[in-house]
Amino acid sequence: MNDQTGELSGRGHIEIDGLTKTYASDAGDITALQGIDFDIAPREFVGIVGPSGCGKSTLLRCVGGLIAPSVGEVRIGGDVVTEPDPRIGYVFQQAVLLPWRRVLDNVMLPFEIAGRPTSENRAKALEVLQMVGLSDYLNHRPGELSGGMQQRVSVARALVVEPSILLMDEPFGALDAQTRDSMNVELLRIWNESQTTVVFVTHDIGEALFLSDRVMVMSVRPGRVQDVIDVDLPRPRTFTEVEADERFWTLRQRIREQLN
Amino acid sequence: MRRLLRFLRSEAWLGRLLVIVSAVVLIVVWHLWARTNSPLILPEPGPVLERLLDYVGSGRANPHIWITVQEIVLGFALGGLAGIGLGTLASEFGIARRVIMPYVIVTQALPKFALAPILVIWFGFGMTPKVIIAALIAFFPLLENTYLGLTTTPAEMLELFRALRAGRWTTLTKCRALHAVPAVFSGLRVALMLALVGAVVAEYVGANKGLGALIIVSQGTLDTELMFVAFVQLTVLGLLLDQAHGLVYRLVMRRLYGSVGAEMRAAGVSV
Repeated sequence: MNDQTGELSGRGHIEIDGLTKTYASDAGDITALQGIDFDIAPREFVGIVGPSGCGKSTLLRCVGGLIAPSVGEVRIGGDVVTEPDPRIGYVFQQAVLLPWRRVLDNVMLPFEIAGRPTSENRAKALEVLQMVGLSDYLNHRPGELSGGMQQRVSVARALVVEPSILLMDEPFGALDAQTRDSMNVELLRIWNESQTTVVFVTHDIGEALFLSDRVMVMSVRPGRVQDVIDVDLPRPRTFTEVEADERFWTLRQRIREQLN
Repeated sequence: MRRLLRFLRSEAWLGRLLVIVSAVVLIVVWHLWARTNSPLILPEPGPVLERLLDYVGSGRANPHIWITVQEIVLGFALGGLAGIGLGTLASEFGIARRVIMPYVIVTQALPKFALAPILVIWFGFGMTPKVIIAALIAFFPLLENTYLGLTTTPAEMLELFRALRAGRWTTLTKCRALHAVPAVFSGLRVALMLALVGAVVAEYVGANKGLGALIIVSQGTLDTELMFVAFVQLTVLGLLLDQAHGLVYRLVMRRLYGSVGAEMRAAGVSV
């Protein structure tokens, strides 16, 4: 029924359609998300910002098929999401590495679970680890790595299956400012090379603007789409250029006012 | 040389020294105290040592030690496997947990040594009742710790496995079971010591061989010296079993985590 979506363009295409999510609680139903409509084009980089408790993570989990919407649906490449999708790579707030596995084995995990730990896939794992700059740490245990390096392993683990969509839930929120900046620059480089669709949840407005093509601003409970901002800053972006650009500060101000 | 220097500079040598000094003091106190008593009440350390060397050296101790070791190992293995198996079932399936737990609580409330006489009536004076008691008593810590280790797997890890579309079995074998390893090992340690106690106490109730039986025999003949010989043998046996456990634990941990050091502490597991 989605013939017009087509193979090529459809793979990374996300449609969020009338999405509402309510949770039952003792004090009655809590509405976490209310009537979200949003369309994300293939290869687009979308940032989601909003105050804590606005349901950013819930929205991402619905897109990822980890939780089911109460009303409405999410479609990926035209297919309704009912369970985790193999075309999606997930990066969580914490790196969530298995401490008993070495770095390379952690990146091989998606293949092992899928029953395909082939030498070809091993080569892919080595390749993404090189891409995130960890070629010298293949045999290290996660406990021996810094927080930034751990999160890079988790990015590599998400990228290794060559997902058409990358869902990132405040992935660099726990890192110090400097590490986060360099991770953001690397992420843009990787995104540019891999051309996946990225949905990036953050509470940092500057981070969202630096990374995204569009930023979705969400209101606090119930979470609604309050504003959608086109970030017309030229790419490739560097922090110096972006922060020297008048438009960056104007957009930042605009989002900040809406969040208050 | 460098290691020696580091040793001398650390607190380790002071600790060792204090252990040795206090042990000597204790033995001297035992010796002095024993001299004021009849050897029927408290034998002196010297004669106990002589008797021990003679008893072990002549090979007369071997059948007793061998029997008790078999009871401990068999009981530990059976109770341990049952505990790990049922603990895993209980953590995997809500219905299994609901069925298993009431039984577990009842069997725990029942003092297992109280069963020893009926087990002797059913199974005789051989090894069987002792193995059963040791197994029953080793079962609980493993059930508890296996269940605890499996169910405390961080939610983020489980979510990762869900996002990667892992099935129940894969999640168990690649994630939860490995997360449970330290908890299971601490259960194994407790179970091993309890299995020793279980085997010996069960021997008290009726046995013709074993270190517990030896204690009862020496009580009957007022051979307190022999009783102390059995105490020493039991203590050494317990220490060896604990060392064996520690060795396996370290081997497994090194294989899993590279070392039993910083990472384990980072994971919140006391080493």
